[in-house]
Amino acid sequence: MHKKIFQSSFLTAFLVLITTIALIMGVLFHFFEEQIQKELENEAVYLSQTVEKTGVRFFDGFEKQTNRVTLIDADGKVLFDSDAEAEKLDNHADREEINAAMKNGTGKSIRYSQTLTEKTVNYAVRLSDGSVLRVSTTQYTVITVLLGMLQPLLIVLAAAVILTFVLSLRVSKAIIEPINELDLESPENNVAYEELTPLLKKLAEQNRTIEEQLADAHKKQVEFHLITENMSEGFLVIDKDTSLLTYNSAALELFGITPPVSGNVLAFCRAKDFRDTVSKALAGEKAENTMVRQERCYSMIANPVFEEKEVIGAVIIILDITEREKREALRREFTANVSHELKTPLTSISGFAELMKEGDVSQDTVVDFSASIYEEAQRLITLVTDIIKISELDGKSIPFQSETVDLYELSEEIISRLKGQAEKRNIALNLIGGKTEITGVYKILEEMFYNLLDNAIKYNKENGTVDFIINTTESGVTVLVRDTGIGIPAVHQSRVFERFYRVDKSHSKQVGGTGLGLAIVKHGAIYHHAKIRLESTEGKGTTVAVQFGKDSFAGGEQ
Amino acid sequence: MRNKFDRQLSQLNAELITMGALCEEAIANAVKYLTDSDEDSRDACLAADSQIDEKERDIETLCMKLILQQQPVAGDLRVVSSALKMISDMERIGDQASDIVEIAPYVAESGIEDSTHIRDMADAVIKMVSESVESFVKMDMDIAYQAIEHDNLVDELFDKVKDELIKSITESGRNAEALIDLLMIAKYFERIGDHAENIAEWVVYSITGKHKNQSHHREQDTRRDPHDLSGGR
Repeated sequence: MHKKIFQSSFLTAFLVLITTIALIMGVLFHFFEEQIQKELENEAVYLSQTVEKTGVRFFDGFEKQTNRVTLIDADGKVLFDSDAEAEKLDNHADREEINAAMKNGTGKSIRYSQTLTEKTVNYAVRLSDGSVLRVSTTQYTVITVLLGMLQPLLIVLAAAVILTFVLSLRVSKAIIEPINELDLESPENNVAYEELTPLLKKLAEQNRTIEEQLADAHKKQVEFHLITENMSEGFLVIDKDTSLLTYNSAALELFGITPPVSGNVLAFCRAKDFRDTVSKALAGEKAENTMVRQERCYSMIANPVFEEKEVIGAVIIILDITEREKREALRREFTANVSHELKTPLTSISGFAELMKEGDVSQDTVVDFSASIYEEAQRLITLVTDIIKISELDGKSIPFQSETVDLYELSEEIISRLKGQAEKRNIALNLIGGKTEITGVYKILEEMFYNLLDNAIKYNKENGTVDFIINTTESGVTVLVRDTGIGIPAVHQSRVFERFYRVDKSHSKQVGGTGLGLAIVKHGAIYHHAKIRLESTEGKGTTVAVQFGKDSFAGGEQ
Repeated sequence: MRNKFDRQLSQLNAELITMGALCEEAIANAVKYLTDSDEDSRDACLAADSQIDEKERDIETLCMKLILQQQPVAGDLRVVSSALKMISDMERIGDQASDIVEIAPYVAESGIEDSTHIRDMADAVIKMVSESVESFVKMDMDIAYQAIEHDNLVDELFDKVKDELIKSITESGRNAEALIDLLMIAKYFERIGDHAENIAEWVVYSITGKHKNQSHHREQDTRRDPHDLSGGR
C-alpha cells in the first residue's frame, strides 16, 4: 500500500510538472512570436512611410540593424537588400509574402530553414509606387529553443523529481503510518481513519467470536480431559487405521506403559484378544472381550464410531476386573460349598428316613435313626443360622444397634456357656483381664468371641488350656484367645478365614462346626473396624488376636 | 502424496507389530504344548504359523508397493528394507515353532524333558522374542540390545542341554530317539533365538542406519580360524 501510494503520488506530481512546463512554454512562445510579428509589422510600416517620403535614397548608407530589409519593385526585381547585394538576388515576385503584398497591400509568410532550427518571418508592405518593402527576421524555432533550454530544464526537472520523490515518500508514509499502527488486538479502540471503522468493527466482532469459540473449545477439552483422566477405566480412541488418537493415563497404567505413546494402538497392547477386539470394532461391530495380562484380568469394550454409515474409528474402554473376577470366583465357590454342606446332612436324613419308611427296622434302630436325623437336622439348622448371620454381616442390610459393651462381662457369659463342653475334654478356661467397655454391637461381638472360644476348645488337645485375655493399651483394646491345641499349618493360615475352608476336611464331621465360624469372626471384625491377627504353630497351639481401634465403633449406618 | 506414504508406513508398522505378536503367540503356544500337551495350544500355534505366512506375503507386497510407488529415501528406506528382512526372520520363527509342535508329542511320551534345561531355554527364547518385538514396537534400542544380549544365554543353555542329552544317551541308552528329538527341539529354540536376535539387529539398523553385521563380518573375516571351513555363523 505504501508503495502504491508513493507511486501514484509521485507519478501524479511528475505528470503535472511536465504538463505545466509544456503548457507554459507553448503559451509563452506563442506570445513572443506574436510580439515579434507585431514589431516586424510596425517596423515595416514605419520604414515604408519613410521610403515613400524619401524614396530609394533612403537606403543609401542604410545601416542594417537586427532585421533584414528588402525593397522590391513592382516587377519583383530586388532594388535593395540590407543583407545581400541586390543584383545577385533573383526575382522575388513569386515569393508568398510579396505576392500577397502586391495584391492586398500587405503580406506575410513564415519559412523554415532546412534543418528546422530556424525560421524566417517575413512581412511585406506595398508602397504607393507599386514596389514592395519587406522586413524579415530570423527566429529560432521551438525545437531550437527547447534544445537550448535543455540543460536548465533538466536541472529544474531533476530538482523537481527529487523534491517530488521526497514529498511523495513522506506523504505516503504519513498516510500509511496510522494503518500500520492499528492495534488489531482491540480494533475498536483505534482512531485512525473513519473509512476503516466498519472494517475494524467487523474485525472486533470476529475477534470476539473467535475468542468465545476458543474458550468454548478449551473448556470442552478441559472437561474431556478431566473426565477421561479421572476415570479408572482405560480409555482409547483410534482411527480406522488403528492409529492412536487419544488415551488417558488410566490406560497407560493398566497396560504398564510409560509415555509418550504415539502411532499405533498395537503399541499399547498386541495380545491376540486385544487385536481381535479392535478389528471387530473397526469392522463395525460392538466388541466385548476379556483379557488376562500379567496376572490381571481386563475387560475390553470396543465401540465403532460411525460417520455417515462408515466406520471412522473406535472407542475402546478397558476395565480392570481382577477384583471382580476374584469376588465372582469366591461367590461361585461359596455357592458350591453351601450346596455341598447343605446336601450332606440332607442326604443322611433322607437315607435314614428311607430306611424307616421301609418299616423293616427294629424299635431300637428307629430311636437310633431318629437321633441321627435329629443331629443332622440340628447341623442343618446351625448351618443355615450361620449362613444367615454371615449374609447379614455381608450385606449390612440389617441395622444393628450400637451400644456400650463390657467385654469382660460378655466373655464371662460365653465361657459359662462353653464350660460344659470344655470340662468334657478337661480343658481349662482362663479369663484374664478386667472390666473393659467398648462401643459395638453386642450380638456380633458375642458371636465373634463365641466362635473363637468354641474353636479354641474344639481344636484343643485333652487337658489343654484356653486363655481368654482382654488387654487395654493406648491404641485400643485387644482380645486374645490362646489355646494349646493342634494349631494350623502355615499353608492354611492365610485361608482359614475363608468361608467353608477346612484345614482337615476329613475331621470336620467329628469335630462339628460349619466352616463358617472364622468367617463370621472376620466379618464381625470388619464390621467393628477391628484387626485380626493369627499366630499358630502346628501341634503347639493357636493365638487369635482381635484388635479394636481406639474409637472402634460400629453403626448400622456404616 | 506424502500423506498416502505416511499412511502406508503406519500400516506397515501395524502389520509388523501384528506379525511380531503372532510370533510371540506361536512360540508361547508351542512351549505350552511341549510342557502341558494341551491340544488347544497346538492348534493355536499352527494357526498362528499360517497367519504368520499370510502376513509375510502381505507385508512383502506392501513393502514392494512402497518402494516402487513412493521411492522412499534415507530413514524411510531403512524402515522398509529392515521390514523386509525382519519378516523373513519372523516367518522362520513361526515355522520353527510349528516344527517344535510336530516333534513335541514324541518327546512328551517319554516324559524326559523335565530333567533338562530345555524349559529354561524355552522361557529364555519366549522372553527374547518378546523383547525383540517390543523393541520394534517401541523403537527402543535398549530393549533391542537386551534381546541381542540374551542370545548368549540361549546359546549357553543350548550347550548345557546338549551336554545333558549326550550324558543321558551314553549312560542309559534308553529313549535315544526321544532324546534326539529333544536335541532337535533345543536346536529349534536356539535358531529361534538367533532369528529374534536378527530382528533386534534390524531394529537397531532401522534406527541408526548401522547394521551389526557390517562391522561383524569384517571382524570375523580377520579373526576367522583357517581350519574352520564351515564359515561364520
